[in-house]
Amino acid sequence: MNREEATTKLKEIVKPYVKDQEAFDKLTENTDFITDLKINSANLVDIILDIEEAFGITIDNVSMEKMTNVTAALEIIETKLTEQ
Amino acid sequence: MIGNDVIDLSLATAESNWRRKGYLEKIFTPREQQFIKNSDNPDLTVWKLWSRKESAYKIFNRITGNRVYNPIRFECLDDSDLGIVCFENTLYFTQTQYTKNYIHTIATSLANDLNKIVYLENRMQIHKKNGIPYLELNPVSISNHGRFEKIVTLQTES
Repeated sequence: MNREEATTKLKEIVKPYVKDQEAFDKLTENTDFITDLKINSANLVDIILDIEEAFGITIDNVSMEKMTNVTAALEIIETKLTEQ
Repeated sequence: MIGNDVIDLSLATAESNWRRKGYLEKIFTPREQQFIKNSDNPDLTVWKLWSRKESAYKIFNRITGNRVYNPIRFECLDDSDLGIVCFENTLYFTQTQYTKNYIHTIATSLANDLNKIVYLENRMQIHKKNGIPYLELNPVSISNHGRFEKIVTLQTES
């Protein structure tokens, strides 16, 4: 899976939790899930669980700590996919 | 330093299913999971523990400027409305109030500061410096969720 495909998939996963639709439409690699997209921090857990299911990976807590924006999430997803 | 977190209980219930497989393990340590399991009202306990972690995290974030998503590392050492949260070697002191509609936890870096809490009715006179709210020189913590907003600060030393 290349980065573009992963980004599209990530966007679909994140979309239902987003409270700032405008920020979502302008999503870039620096977009922060909580401060830009206004995702409730309790829902970030749901996003991580959804990512695990969608990509078939497991995200340990140390990796989870870093997943606060789009690029970080994509990097971790890619790392976990290659580890398999 | 002060931090707070308010949770609108009906919104929280609508937004998050904490019973989802894998959910609790991502946020709560085994000790905290035991508090939830032993509770007469696990829904309330889940959100109380969460609000304590969030309010402690707010202090940590303000002091260090660090933004990381690691709720599990802020461990509630007890399940008490006057409780302690521990992150690495730092303790935060928490006070939790609740009604059937909301939970509100306030955290302070010093235990005695819990006696100096001032509730503000609105955002008048609050200014932001580097994104952090202040009332004159006193740090202010603001939290809102759903129908509720709570604004707190500490009494100035006289």
